[in-house]
Amino acid sequence: MPGGGPDAARAVTTWTTTASGRLPAYLALGGAGLLAGLLLGRPEPVILAAPLLLAAAAGLALAHAPDVDVVVRLDRERALEGEEVELEVTVSARRPVAWLDLEVRLPAGLAERRRSDDGPASLRAGATRAYRRQLACRRWGGRLVGHVTMRARDPLGFFTYRDETRQLLPLRVYPRPEAVRRMLRPAETQAFAGNEVSRLKGDGIEFADIRPFEAGDRVRRINWRASARRGQLHVNEMRPERNSDVVLFLDTFTDLVDPAGTSLEMTVRAAAALVDGYLRRRDRVGLVGFGGTLRWLRPAMGERQLYRLVDALIDTQVVVSYAWKGLEVIPPRTLPPKSLVIALTPLLDERSLGALLDLRARGYDLSVIELSPLAFVHPGRRETERLAYRLWVMEREALRGRFLSMGVPVVTWRRGEPLEPALSVASRFRRDARLVRT
Amino acid sequence: MIRSRPLLAIAPAAVPLAVALAVAPLVRAGGPPGPVAALGGVAVALYAIALGAPLAGALPWALGLLGLEYVVSLEVRAAPLDEGAPAYAAAFFLCAELGWLALEARRGGRPWPGRAAAIGAVALGGAALGALLLAASAVPFAGGPAVTGLGVAAAVAVAASLAWLGRRAA
Repeated sequence: MPGGGPDAARAVTTWTTTASGRLPAYLALGGAGLLAGLLLGRPEPVILAAPLLLAAAAGLALAHAPDVDVVVRLDRERALEGEEVELEVTVSARRPVAWLDLEVRLPAGLAERRRSDDGPASLRAGATRAYRRQLACRRWGGRLVGHVTMRARDPLGFFTYRDETRQLLPLRVYPRPEAVRRMLRPAETQAFAGNEVSRLKGDGIEFADIRPFEAGDRVRRINWRASARRGQLHVNEMRPERNSDVVLFLDTFTDLVDPAGTSLEMTVRAAAALVDGYLRRRDRVGLVGFGGTLRWLRPAMGERQLYRLVDALIDTQVVVSYAWKGLEVIPPRTLPPKSLVIALTPLLDERSLGALLDLRARGYDLSVIELSPLAFVHPGRRETERLAYRLWVMEREALRGRFLSMGVPVVTWRRGEPLEPALSVASRFRRDARLVRT
Repeated sequence: MIRSRPLLAIAPAAVPLAVALAVAPLVRAGGPPGPVAALGGVAVALYAIALGAPLAGALPWALGLLGLEYVVSLEVRAAPLDEGAPAYAAAFFLCAELGWLALEARRGGRPWPGRAAAIGAVALGGAALGALLLAASAVPFAGGPAVTGLGVAAAVAVAASLAWLGRRAA
């Protein structure tokens, strides 16, 4: 028997009854037969009408709205894009139901795969039947599943009963992260142990330098070869492995849409890949959704943070707002000092551009991944349209130059391309820029 | 909905049955084709159109014309009691049901075993009821206004019973 649970919902049914056109036709033909029998004084018209009237009488006598209990259940609440989840609708009949079929209405992003053995069925009194549907998660996002339409019929098919139950269960479909092996390395590390070799010297296993022995140095640190060669005690200096703080800055002011996808979709995919990669390195990762509504998550590490971040990502949406916003609206602890800020932006909205330039001016280690809007914009056919397009592209080049002149790498990530090459370009720029600075 | 080959065969099975029902009174009459044959032809054509178009509204008219053809054929030849009437009535009912099933199949519906069994049972029950009526009619009995009144009362009782059942079902 079906049971309750966090991923199950029980429905209350209220049926809408529709009569088939057969019933009035049979009644009319039957009535005509009776009348003809009386008028003609012959039994044959009545005999001809007898099965029709008998069917109508039996149909009316046997007709009753189904009395069923419905429990909707999902086999899990979370799935990755491309995976399948099973929706089970269990129907328990208190009275016999001659024919019952289910149709599951799905929100966008989910597709139903119906099994051939899961068609309409009859239920005896007290019987329970589970209708199972495989739901293919086509696109990431938060969904509510459980809008079920039931259709039942009486034994002779004179009446159709219809009921819609909305026992909505949450299903969170996470974006399938891109495989990114090398992440952007932060310029500075934090105090906790991690996988990033610190630029500072201290206790660690990565060799950094040699210096003369000083009082208090550990004997095990003495580099005996160097000491023998120089005639004076020297010790090895090491670099500790530390973690870093990474904040993902999502520009959600604008969303570019075309049939193949949206720029917000690209943002979420890239962010999911970065979140996954940095949390694996034991870094603390935070999130700022900078748009019509401000969303943030303070940097933290671990599995819980991964789920928090991904949940926040799949709830990301564009909210149109014309209010001017700057960095002052972001809570201070969301952007810790020495953190690496990775901005995912189509570089279109002045407010996010201003905020990013402001971040850099305040000394944050900033990298910009530009989600190229060029794929979403067509140059046009007329000469003036193409000219406007060229001017716009040149303006974007100038904007990129402005960021580069401030030491901020701006790498373009185009739809359909892997993210890793874009990150590699940014890493190379940061390494070269550091060499120039030093 | 899943459509299977048997469903596609419902209409081809229903039309020959309608043709057989239309031809049967003509064969029994044995005379030259006249208005009875015309009625039968129109009925079959309408039936085929109703299933092919599909046009659900035309099906009751086609059935009505088939029934009318049968009754008119009896009247035209002033036939005595037709002993084949119960069988004809059962076939007439099956023809009607096949027509509706064919129309439902066009919309993606499919018959289920329980319904097929119920249709068979009603056809048999209707034939048995017809046979009873036929047997009652064969009893030599002097008619009159009282008997006619009784018949009217029976018809009204049938109508009232159906109305009561309909109200209960609603």
